[in-house]
Amino acid sequence: MLVARGIFQLAARRGVHTTRILASTAPAAADASSGDNLILNFSLPAASIYRNKPVASVVIPGLAGEYGVTKNHSPVIAELKAGVVQIVHETGQAPEKFFVSGGFALTHANSVTDIAVVEAAKLEDIDAEEVPKIYAEAMKDYNAAAEGSKEKVEAQIEVEVAKSLAGALGVALT
Amino acid sequence: MSAAATTYWRIAGLTYLQYTSKAAGVLRAALKEPLRTKTMAKEKIFFKRLEWSSKMIGQPVGPLKVEVTSLK
Repeated sequence: MLVARGIFQLAARRGVHTTRILASTAPAAADASSGDNLILNFSLPAASIYRNKPVASVVIPGLAGEYGVTKNHSPVIAELKAGVVQIVHETGQAPEKFFVSGGFALTHANSVTDIAVVEAAKLEDIDAEEVPKIYAEAMKDYNAAAEGSKEKVEAQIEVEVAKSLAGALGVALT
Repeated sequence: MSAAATTYWRIAGLTYLQYTSKAAGVLRAALKEPLRTKTMAKEKIFFKRLEWSSKMIGQPVGPLKVEVTSLK
């Protein structure tokens, strides 16, 4: 029992050490401690959507489910599934939504949240008519592929992302 | 049936990078036209290989621009 507690404290200490480095690189202008905002870094591999942006809250599509982050949220590292990231810039405003294909989200103890994704798109940039076609094509490939083969897994990935896209856009799938 | 020890894509031999690149590809295929051609270009990954010696600045080895296909 005591050993487990010691390991936990060591891990927590390491976690605090990491966030201390990150805190020193955050610019003084965007100060998370003033107001109730967290600092958001939302990035793609080659570009940054938001960098050191103070926002009120973010809803993140984690693999185990969607979760919301506000200031002083406990540290979390979550793998993302294909889903919608919803950013509320100021409390009371409608969220800004981005569909993301997958990635990771890290929330640090100093209220900095990093969301790193491979591809992100605003919902209005996604072609709602294309989604049922992608889904139908992927289901066909999935049913035709041999069990346990690479083709089946690739088709499964397509099916899952297409389903998620349909859910986000409110499109019905046959 | 017992729960798998790991994810379905890992069991089939895919790495995380291959899995996440594939998912990104599906999203790109569903985009509206002007943005779609711009982001489809992002799928191409190239590397350039140079060999260095103590005397010479790196000399290219093989073709200058090699497309990476392992994530497709």
